[in-house]
Amino acid sequence: MTIRIKIGIVKEALNATVLEGEVQLEETVEHIYASDLMSDVLAFGLPNSLLLTGLATKQAVISAHMAEFKGVVFLRGKCPKDGADIYARDKHLVLLSTKHDMYDSCLFISSALNEKHHESVGTVEDQTVGDIILKEDFTIGGRDFANAGMVSTEMKEILKKIGFPHELVRRVAISTYEGELNVIMHASRGKVQLLVSPKLIEVVIEDEGPGIPDIALAMQEGFTTATEEMRALGFGSGMGLPNIKRNTSDLNISSEVGKGTIVYMKFQVQEP
Amino acid sequence: MTTKELIEKLGLKPLSKFEHREIKGIFISDMVSDVMTGAKSGNLWLTIQTHKSIVSTANLADLSAIIITSGKNVPQETIDLASKYNIAVLSSSAPTYELAIKLHDLGLDKG
Amino acid sequence: MSKCHHQWEMTNVKYGFVTFDKCFRNNAIKTNFSSTDTPGEEYREGDCIFIRVENAQSFTFDLHCTVCNRLESFKELMGLLQCTDCLPECPVEVLQKEYAIKNTWIFVAFGYLPEANTKPIPDHKLDILTVYFNQRRDTSRSKIKIVPFNLIQNLSRCKGEFIHDVGMLSAEPPPQERKPLL
Repeated sequence: MTIRIKIGIVKEALNATVLEGEVQLEETVEHIYASDLMSDVLAFGLPNSLLLTGLATKQAVISAHMAEFKGVVFLRGKCPKDGADIYARDKHLVLLSTKHDMYDSCLFISSALNEKHHESVGTVEDQTVGDIILKEDFTIGGRDFANAGMVSTEMKEILKKIGFPHELVRRVAISTYEGELNVIMHASRGKVQLLVSPKLIEVVIEDEGPGIPDIALAMQEGFTTATEEMRALGFGSGMGLPNIKRNTSDLNISSEVGKGTIVYMKFQVQEP
Repeated sequence: MTTKELIEKLGLKPLSKFEHREIKGIFISDMVSDVMTGAKSGNLWLTIQTHKSIVSTANLADLSAIIITSGKNVPQETIDLASKYNIAVLSSSAPTYELAIKLHDLGLDKG
Repeated sequence: MSKCHHQWEMTNVKYGFVTFDKCFRNNAIKTNFSSTDTPGEEYREGDCIFIRVENAQSFTFDLHCTVCNRLESFKELMGLLQCTDCLPECPVEVLQKEYAIKNTWIFVAFGYLPEANTKPIPDHKLDILTVYFNQRRDTSRSKIKIVPFNLIQNLSRCKGEFIHDVGMLSAEPPPQERKPLL
């Protein structure tokens, strides 16, 4: 389950004492790991997690650090007394102590997540086909040529990590890159949303810009409104819409002149 | 809620032979010391520990059932000992944190 | 004089470690409680050479009666062990078979060794402990009974399971078989 919650919010939710790491309360964690068995933390813990544990020892903090966790919450009022705080300070880990037990702590954190509407998504194994397992948002700056391709590159990494087939990831990356370029070339700003389900990847690119007056025309090969400058930079032999269409399972464009454009791309995950 | 209803609602896998009983509260920990000091009679115990000493612990604390989370493999020795003492050992593929939320969503409170 | 029907609760819980040191030459065992994790170094005592064989997370506690305020310390309790039917002639196993018919499970109380060999936990304390654990359970289903460890026929052959936390800090996943401690 990937989430996004500030450690400071967890501290409030658990009414916890900060043993170490006051300055790091602004940091965000993406997973909650509830365990007292450090071999499990080491084997299965994901980076940027928060450990909830009743094992109040320095070794627990060391294990959390090795698993690239951001902090440890000691439960049931326990506090390590063996130099764990000094170690945590050195490694920039947050240590909290709460009087609550593991069940209550899990519930308080979950409650805080729902309240703050943080992105909270389910795990692959628990979801049925069609349920979103990952949602990521990106921004694109208009005229930000220096960063052209940053979003599509990041997206490619995410999809690769999840384990989607190479060919599919390439198609998503190309399509997103074309869309990203269009925003940079023509719009004042834009945002990209990636929605991943086990069988479907959706990319929505929405911009604030001049809009496309004639979408059918723009869908023709070679059509471009790129300026000389953009062409010189190598970005503009076309708006890329036909290229996007070729690489997607479904493409939907809606636009309003003077306002902006929404490009909706759908990529079906084929059975191998 | 009884262990029978819980198994059905969550799709848990029963591993040992046991009589169904009413679940009264939830206790989560991988440390038997914590179970001894904090768990109450009838508690449903969530843990990733699978060694047969969890059966002795559940027995001593009179717990209603043990759910082994995260899809951990449970050795036959543990299952056999649990069956001997009529203690429910159930398996869930969900990690502990997620299972805690699911249990709460089912209306099970700490007890 | 009216007798108090004690209602016991666990109090003064202190977490710490129980260490098991063993001399393989003489099968001697030494156990201790420490509030901090202490590294085990080989040491000599008489003609015994002791090696640390286990370091378990554990706790000490007192029992407090909520009715009359009586406090019973259980500092000398090292741990509880459940009989796993390894020696048919062992008095604990014989007792277990007898009590099983009454849905009562036997747990063995250990004091710290070797002192507890000569100074065992008094019977009245084990009775209080039994009452406490039974007060904590639904006795219509089952009960427990706590007996002293000197009932165990052969300590060095006992394969009973201690109820304590071991291997919590290990980087390796816990092994299915634990090494016998006694």
